[in-house]
Amino acid sequence: MKKINVLKKIFIACLTVCMMVTAFGEEVNASSIPYDTYNYDYREYIHFTPAAYVPDRCISGEQLLYNGESIGAFVTPQDMCKAPNGDVYIADTGNNRIVVLDNGLKYVKNIITGYYKNGVLDTFNQPYGVAVSQNNQIYIADSQNRRIVVLNMDGSLEKIVSDPKSESLEEGYVFVPLKVTVDYADRIYVIAQNMFEGIMVFESDGKFASFFGTIDVKISLWEKFWKRLATKEERSRQQLYIPTEFTGIDIDPDGFVYATNIDSNGTQGVRRLNPRGEDVIKKGQNGNVGGDLWINGSTEYAGPSQFTDVVYRKNGIYSCLDKKRGRIFTYDHEGNLLYIFGGLGTQKGTFSMPVAIEDIGEQIAVLDATNAEIISFNVTEYGSLINQAVSLRYDGDETLAVALWERVLQLDENNELANTGIGKAYLTAGDYVNAMKYLKLGMNRDYYSIAYRRYRNEILTKNANYFLTGILILVVVYLVLKPILKKKRAEAKKLKEAKKGGESNE
Amino acid sequence: MSKYFSKEKWSYLKYTISHPMDGYYWIRHRDRGSVPIAILLVILFSISFTSNRLLAGFVVNDLDPRGIDSLFELLGVLSFYLILCVSNWSVTCLMGGEGRMKDIAIAIGYGTTPITVMLVIGTIVSQFVADNEQAFYTLIVAVGIAYGLIMMLIGIMQVHNYTLGKTLLTLIITFVAMLIIIFLLLLLSNLLGMVYNFFHSIYTELIFRA
Repeated sequence: MKKINVLKKIFIACLTVCMMVTAFGEEVNASSIPYDTYNYDYREYIHFTPAAYVPDRCISGEQLLYNGESIGAFVTPQDMCKAPNGDVYIADTGNNRIVVLDNGLKYVKNIITGYYKNGVLDTFNQPYGVAVSQNNQIYIADSQNRRIVVLNMDGSLEKIVSDPKSESLEEGYVFVPLKVTVDYADRIYVIAQNMFEGIMVFESDGKFASFFGTIDVKISLWEKFWKRLATKEERSRQQLYIPTEFTGIDIDPDGFVYATNIDSNGTQGVRRLNPRGEDVIKKGQNGNVGGDLWINGSTEYAGPSQFTDVVYRKNGIYSCLDKKRGRIFTYDHEGNLLYIFGGLGTQKGTFSMPVAIEDIGEQIAVLDATNAEIISFNVTEYGSLINQAVSLRYDGDETLAVALWERVLQLDENNELANTGIGKAYLTAGDYVNAMKYLKLGMNRDYYSIAYRRYRNEILTKNANYFLTGILILVVVYLVLKPILKKKRAEAKKLKEAKKGGESNE
Repeated sequence: MSKYFSKEKWSYLKYTISHPMDGYYWIRHRDRGSVPIAILLVILFSISFTSNRLLAGFVVNDLDPRGIDSLFELLGVLSFYLILCVSNWSVTCLMGGEGRMKDIAIAIGYGTTPITVMLVIGTIVSQFVADNEQAFYTLIVAVGIAYGLIMMLIGIMQVHNYTLGKTLLTLIITFVAMLIIIFLLLLLSNLLGMVYNFFHSIYTELIFRA
C-alpha cells in the first residue's frame, strides 16, 4: 500500500513537472539552473517553487592567486568556516594547509602551512576541520597529528590541545579530531573519529571536560525480541547497536551547538544542543528535520538524506547539507522547511561530494571534496523574501512581514508559510474572515481556531438580540401549540378506536 | 416494492432503534423487518461516512481530500456488508443459530442507523467548533458508533437466540471466516487471471502465427 502511495506521489510529481514545463516553458529557463527548488507542503507532497538560490561561481585552487602565483588545486578539502571579519578559512586537507580567502572568495589573503612552536617550525598533517572563534583565534583540527592547534591571527601559536585525559575515555584512546567549533567562552567542541559518546568538549584551558549531546540508541521491540531469541554465538556476529557519529558542527551566537548526524530513519538529521547538551530543536509541522520526506525505494538514489554539515545563518535560520542527493535544506527556528535546492551531478552548480557549507553574507558556499572546489550560490528575489520575512517573524515583527509574504505568494501561490504569515497579520488586525481564509490555506489549525473563535463571538454578540428573540418566539409558539396538538391527537385516537371497535363489531 | 418500504416497516425501524431487544425479536419471529430498507440504510451509511470524511470542518478534519473516493468507499462498505452477512450466516448455521440470512442482513443494516445519524450531526457540528471544542464532535461520533455497535450485537444475539457470550464467540469466528473468504476470493481472482492470461497468450500466439 505504501509503495503504491509512493508511486502515486512520484507520478503526481512528474505530472506537476510536465505541466509546469508545458505551461511556463517560455518563462522559466530550465537549462540555466541544474537542479529543482522545491518544498514539502502540509500533506507532504512535493511542491516545486521558484529557485531560492542560483549557482554563481565555481572556485578551484588553480584560479586563486597569492603573491601573483596560483596556489594550486585543493586536494580533498574538508572544511570551511567564516571568521567574524568575513574571511573564509578552508581546510585544504590533502595539501596540509589552511587557505584564507576574502569575503567575496576572490583573493587569497593568507596561506597557513605551519607555525613556530618554541622556535621550531611545526606543520599540519591532514588538517580536517577549521574554526575561528569570536576572539579571532583559529582552531585547526590537525587530525593525523592527533591534536587541535590554536593560532592567533598573526600566525603565532596560542596553544595546543591534545591527548585528552579522563576516566570516561578508554585506555589507549587515540584522539583524531575531525570537526571543531568554538563558543563565545572559548570552549572547544570537537567531533572526533570513532567517538560514539558524543561531541567532546574542552575547556578554554585545553582540558577535556565532558561529552556533549550523546545520541541515544533506539532499539525497537522487534530487535529486542530477536536479540532474545539469538544464541550467544549469533549475537556476537550481529551488528552492534552503537549510536551514530556526528558529522558536522556549527554554533550560534548564543552558544547553542548545531550538529548533524546520519539518521537511518530520516527523521532527525540535525540537533540543536543547549549548553547542557540537551537537544532543543523544534521539528516543525511535519515533525521532521531529517531532509527529504520521500525516501522510499530500492535504488542507490533512495534512502534518507545524509547530513554532513550544518550552518547557522541568522535569525534562527539554518541550512543543512545532504551528501546523499547533494541538496541543501533550509529550516527556520520552528523547524519549518523554507526551501530545498541543489543536487549531485557534473554541471556547474552541482556537487559530487559536498562536505561543508558556509553562509557568506548574501551567498551560500559549498565545499566539494572530490571536485576540490567551492561553489557559491546567489540568493534570488524569492529566497531573500523568505529569508527576510522569516527573520522579521523571528524578531516578532510579523505585521511588517505581510508585504514580503504577499510578494512571495505572487511568486509561489501555494506557499504555506506565506499564507500563514498573512493570516496571522490579519488576525492581529482583527480581520477574522480574511485571517481564517489565509490560515486555512496555510494549514495552520491552531491559529485558524483562534481566528474562528473570535469570529464566532463577534457574530454571536452582534446578533444576540435576534438569537434571543428567536428562542423566545419558539418557546411561545411551542407553549401555545402544545395543548392544541394534544387535543387533536387525542381526538384522532378516539376516532381510530371507534373505527376499530366498529370493525370488530361487524 | 410498497411491501418492502411500507409505512409500517419504517415505523418499525424507529421502534427497533429505541427498543432493540424487542424489535429484533419480532423481526425474527413476525417478519417485521425489511431487507431492502436495511440495504438502503447501509448505502446511506456509506454516503454519510464519505461525506463526513470530505466535509467535516477544517479544525477536526485532517484527511487529504485527494485520497477519498466516494464510489470506491461505497463499494467497499457494501462488499464488507455482504461478506460480514455471509460469513456470520455460515458460522451461525453450524453453531445452532436460528437466524436466517435476511435476519442477519436486517440486524446489521438497521444497526448502522445511529452511526449514520450521528455522523451527519457530527459533520454539521464540526463546522462550528474550534480546536478546544473538538471533544463535542468526538463525543457525538463516538456515541453514534457505540450505539450502532451495541445495536448490531443485540441484533445478532436476538435473531439467533444466543446468549451474550455465545454471540461474542461467534462474532470472533465470523471475523476469522471473513478473512478466509477474502483470502479465497483473492486466490480465486488470481487463478482466474492466470487462466485468462493463458488463453490470452494462446490467442496472441495464434494471431501472430497467422
